[in-house]
Amino acid sequence: MKWWPLVGIKNYFTEKKDYDFKGEIKYSLKDKVFKKSLHIFVIDVGNSNLLNFTIKALKSPQYNIHRFGIFFTETPRHADILIVLGPVNEKMKQPLLETINQMPGDFGVIIINEENSIDNKINEIEIPNVIAKVDKNLSPDEILSILLTQMNRG
Amino acid sequence: MKKLLGAFNYNGEKFIFQENGTIAVVSGENYVKPKNYDLINNRNTIIGNQKITGEGVFNFRYGPVTGGVAEAGIYNIFTNGEKILGVQIDVSYKRRYIEDKLKGKSIEDGLKLANAVCGNFAFSHSLAYCKTIEKILQIKLPEVIKYFRIVGLELERIYNHFYVIAELAKGAAQKVYTSHMQYLFEESLRVNKIFSGSRHLIGFNKIGGISKYLNKEEIVKIIDKLSELEERFKYLYEKSLESGNYLDRLHNTGIITTEKALEIGLTGPSLRASNFREDLREFDNDYNLTNIPVKEEGDALARMEVRAEEIFISINIIKEKLQKIKDFNDSEKNEYKIKDGEEVAAVESPSGTICYFIAIKNGLIDYCYIVTPSTFGFKAIADSLVGQIFTDFVFTVESFGVNFADAAR
Repeated sequence: MKWWPLVGIKNYFTEKKDYDFKGEIKYSLKDKVFKKSLHIFVIDVGNSNLLNFTIKALKSPQYNIHRFGIFFTETPRHADILIVLGPVNEKMKQPLLETINQMPGDFGVIIINEENSIDNKINEIEIPNVIAKVDKNLSPDEILSILLTQMNRG
Repeated sequence: MKKLLGAFNYNGEKFIFQENGTIAVVSGENYVKPKNYDLINNRNTIIGNQKITGEGVFNFRYGPVTGGVAEAGIYNIFTNGEKILGVQIDVSYKRRYIEDKLKGKSIEDGLKLANAVCGNFAFSHSLAYCKTIEKILQIKLPEVIKYFRIVGLELERIYNHFYVIAELAKGAAQKVYTSHMQYLFEESLRVNKIFSGSRHLIGFNKIGGISKYLNKEEIVKIIDKLSELEERFKYLYEKSLESGNYLDRLHNTGIITTEKALEIGLTGPSLRASNFREDLREFDNDYNLTNIPVKEEGDALARMEVRAEEIFISINIIKEKLQKIKDFNDSEKNEYKIKDGEEVAAVESPSGTICYFIAIKNGLIDYCYIVTPSTFGFKAIADSLVGQIFTDFVFTVESFGVNFADAAR
């Protein structure tokens, strides 16, 4: 019987490729303070679970985000970047604003609105420090490319 | 055994029952209300058991913004410390009123909304929607379209099952196993992309047809990729069953007895893990399915085993169907004439029965009622959590493979 970690070492799944973001970056964090590491908190405000699954896929070893110093946090208080997965439900507007309120210091917000026929896109709420706002179903490498752009590594 | 799946008011009270492979809509007047009637009536707000009060008992409110619960939903856990005494699950934060939005829409616009109910069950939802509309319009499908749809449905089952097993491994702190399972999960999403053009199989089903056909290279690519995933998973699964640490966490956790499962109205792998053989695919002549995994224990381990064994079965089904559609090279146009009427149809999604009741009047959707497996799954989670401790929470919740988007619609 093989010991579990040995099974892991044998297979190296990380992909070597460039992640380029082709969209528009609206706001950039000052002085590239997050050059070495980036901590992210993800909030779902009413997407159909598709973007949640994309975030889960981003955590897979193919992307190996830890090699870039990117980590997911359990609370907004430890995060540099907030990823908002929309469209937004009426009941989630207040929790969203409160989450932004809890973000420390110099922070950025990435808004991803799912591409579907439900109208409640995150437009009318005023959200500060929006780095990028995308109205489509991003793939994990597109999300990673936005994050790397913020770290000046894109 | 007859199970109540839905209750609604459209020209009088109506019930949707499932009995083995049959889904039927009947008038509610002649029936004594089954035990899960209240659950179905309250499915858009609170799902669970009673609120507990007493000395030292408090409500531990878990969600809607937390690292532990990825979706916008709340678990109200009544506890006096370590033991869980009662659970009420609030799904209303995720409510998108899709059934209301469907009213007055054309059938094509309705399909877009059906895709938006739940991202990871998008294929099942759109298929159930298309089947219902096709029944009303009396569209007869060519065999090959049925095969394409079976392949799509099984691909969805595979990636959802990989996801559930990865989450269970993560909960049990099996880091190496989790990474391997996450690799398989991501690879299965890439197979979906080859098959349908979408990582989550969105937009593949059309009324009376499908949106994409496969060329021979793509078919070979999918078969090769699935064989690789099957081989890897077989090794990992056998290995995981040797890990005492992992099995200990799942064994005897979140037990649902057969009687309880049937009383709740549970369907899918969770029901089959509670020693009750029922699968809609078994009654579908296009499937030819005989070896359905059934387990006796009704705990998280049994649910994981059922899902794992279903992955192998699904891969075999896909390979068989892809061989059959290999030589097909034709893109028929989906032409149909709109008709009025009302119908019900169901599919076996990765977590249980998804069922649509649709009424068309004057060419537009007049009424729609959607039955989702997550409603019953959440009730089963709430009931099986009672009497357990907090560390069992993750295994119980993840093993049912349900989500708020599906339950709240």
